[in-house]
Amino acid sequence: MTHTAPITPDRNTPNPEPTAIARIVSFWKLFMRNRSAVVGLVILVCVISLAILAPLIYPTDPFRMVGRPMSPPLDGYLFGTDTLGRDIMAGIAHGARTSLMIGLIATIVALGIGGLIGGLAGYYGGWIDEILMRVTEVFQTIPSFIFAILLVAVLTPSIENIIIAIAVVSWPALARLVRGEVMSMRNREFVQANVVMGMADWRILLLQVLPNCLSPIIVAASLLVATAILIESGLAFLGLGDPNVMSWGFQVGAGRSVLRQAWWICTFPGIAIMLTVLAINLVGEGLNDALNPRLREREQ
Amino acid sequence: MILKRRTFGALAAAAAMSSMLVAGAGHAQQSGGTMVMVTVPEPPNLANYLSTSGPIGQVSTKVYEGLINLGWDFEIQPSLAKSWEVSEDGLSITFNLQEGVTFHNGTPFTSADVQYSIMEVLREIHPRNAATMRPITAVETPDPMTAIFRLSEPAPYLMVALNAYESPIVSKALFEGTDPRDNPSANAPVGTGPFTFVEWEKGQYVRLDKNENYWREGQPYLDRIVVRFIADASTRTAAMEAGELHYAAFGAIPNIDVPRLAAMDEIDMSTKGYEYFAPMTQLQFNTTRAPFDNPDVRRALATAMDRQFVIDNIWYGFGKAATGPISSNFAAAGIYTDDVPSYAADDRIATANAMLDEAGVPRGADGIRFKITHDMTPYGEEWRRFGEYTKQVLAELGIEADLRYEDVGTWLKRVYTDYDYDLSSNWLFGLPDPVLGVHRQYHSNQIRQGTVFVNGTQWSSPETDALMDQATTETDPEARAVQYAEFQQRVVEASPIIFMQELEFVTVYSTKLQNAITGPMGVYNSFADMWLEQ
Repeated sequence: MTHTAPITPDRNTPNPEPTAIARIVSFWKLFMRNRSAVVGLVILVCVISLAILAPLIYPTDPFRMVGRPMSPPLDGYLFGTDTLGRDIMAGIAHGARTSLMIGLIATIVALGIGGLIGGLAGYYGGWIDEILMRVTEVFQTIPSFIFAILLVAVLTPSIENIIIAIAVVSWPALARLVRGEVMSMRNREFVQANVVMGMADWRILLLQVLPNCLSPIIVAASLLVATAILIESGLAFLGLGDPNVMSWGFQVGAGRSVLRQAWWICTFPGIAIMLTVLAINLVGEGLNDALNPRLREREQ
Repeated sequence: MILKRRTFGALAAAAAMSSMLVAGAGHAQQSGGTMVMVTVPEPPNLANYLSTSGPIGQVSTKVYEGLINLGWDFEIQPSLAKSWEVSEDGLSITFNLQEGVTFHNGTPFTSADVQYSIMEVLREIHPRNAATMRPITAVETPDPMTAIFRLSEPAPYLMVALNAYESPIVSKALFEGTDPRDNPSANAPVGTGPFTFVEWEKGQYVRLDKNENYWREGQPYLDRIVVRFIADASTRTAAMEAGELHYAAFGAIPNIDVPRLAAMDEIDMSTKGYEYFAPMTQLQFNTTRAPFDNPDVRRALATAMDRQFVIDNIWYGFGKAATGPISSNFAAAGIYTDDVPSYAADDRIATANAMLDEAGVPRGADGIRFKITHDMTPYGEEWRRFGEYTKQVLAELGIEADLRYEDVGTWLKRVYTDYDYDLSSNWLFGLPDPVLGVHRQYHSNQIRQGTVFVNGTQWSSPETDALMDQATTETDPEARAVQYAEFQQRVVEASPIIFMQELEFVTVYSTKLQNAITGPMGVYNSFADMWLEQ
């Protein structure tokens, strides 16, 4: 954020432009005000640490058959073993990497597509907007999970294809959000000024307009990570995960048929999915409060 | 309510006692009742003259009949054929047909229907019979109740294939002049069997009612069969548990749930009734690709696989370790031998590693000998687990395997058309004669690009080809046994396929159901003699 564009050009506050550090401090204060967001952040940090440490704690392949099949929890292994004798905790640790990685990358890709299409549509308007939005609507009319299943089934299950599928079903909502934000900026004076100065369209869009509508996009993207993790788990549960990659959804799906004999196989990965998605949602809420403080004040 | 229940209970007890008394007097069958069975998945049509797909046969074998039935030891029993006679030279078979048989639409059954079904339908469009019935040059019909098969060479394996599931007899009047692939009876079958087709509510059930004019005196005993389609395995288990289903075969109830259900008083289970199919699981190599073109490498992998672990933990205890290309089901017929090279070892992994070292595929600096892609049979959960297990075993051998799971069509094309694979899991029916089910995987003339479930490993040898050719026309059982023993030894030694297990399927059924499994074809029997204790 080193560029010169005004971050909040419509605020008629007398204060001079706050420094970067001051802004971060105020953001943090606002974020900390939301207790549940802090709880979410703590859980998320734990999950991220688990993902980072997984190769150190469980250096072998999580698919490796290490113990007696279907050992109950604490019988040699913290969360027990599955039907082939694979350590469930090792699977959860490695699954955390998969879930977070897919969640993040799919969101970034979706953000790229949605940002581009929404930005162009919002900035240029007119027939470009018409065409891009009709295309977006076509994607929005297809139920996203069914569409994702279809894509993965056609492309064959692999990490790359799962990321593509999740990104393809997730970008339309972001495109519409970005378009709305860009439209509201499009006719602001600082943008007009840039146009008059002869700045190229792409520079105005990228350097002037987008940075000013970042906050709602960040909030939406953070929630998208949670959705992406859920879609990935759902796909893996249905057997459409990458067969070479450990994933929480895979663990739940593989243990489902023995739920009555070995409850722990599905339960612990299921809890991992629930906690992670919950944590990301809470953090997203907190970001929303911190980035749009006046929205929160108005609500109160 | 309670009173009513008690009354009902008392009545039921009285009924049970009376039926026991009657049973003691010699198993008097009770007529009546609706038998509810579940079939997985829902069949695409009900034309078993067109497709060998299992679910189709489970329903249509109640409606269609074949010329013969099979007894427990594959002895040939009469059905639409009352008796038969094979000529000395084995080149003609004369069938005397049952009299007074009519199709469900009222037309009488005659030798013309047999001729039409064999020559125009089964020999032309049936996937397996196209090969099985190839030696049949003509079916002659000297009179309406006699049909004579003329063969170009002796075919000792032909008779068993004339059962209702493999070779249903259809009505010529209904088919003549139409394309048999496109006949409306594919969805509304008309046969001579004990049950007539009534309706098919797609996604829900097929209803079959008693054929009042059935030719076997007094049969069938059941008033109605309802075949339900329930997609979810746990729902099927729950329905069985709740007594909503009487009969579930071919893995409809997941193996893991079977012991719990079988422990209930009202439910029995059996692994009998699948002998006809002799299904076997395997890992097959693409023997044209390095390093699996080297039999020493293939033998090392065959040594590493722990068949009992797979049976116990993936198929939950149902199955029997396989020894070679022919199922131990054929022990009674004398053509199975376990006198073949054994790949058992005390420490499978260490032995296999040593074999690989000797085979000339040493570990690299990273501990990896070579990398492959392992294709998994796309038939569901167990196959995924089997693939994951295989990958781990290979990892211990220094072989890095990437797992691939595709849809059925893509996988079949990869293995049988493009031959673009290294190692794939698979399972095939052995069927009641090696000529029908076994030769297709090993004979050089079965390397038929584009035809599925034939020789996809592309391995063959002149010796085994010759042995199979001899056994195909050999009418002396002892000579045949010797030929097949040598065949099994040679195939196991070359190891183009890792023989994993003889798959055991489980039939779970209500204890009220009598004559639930009456022969090696199990769920593919006509159920004419099945009855329900009221």
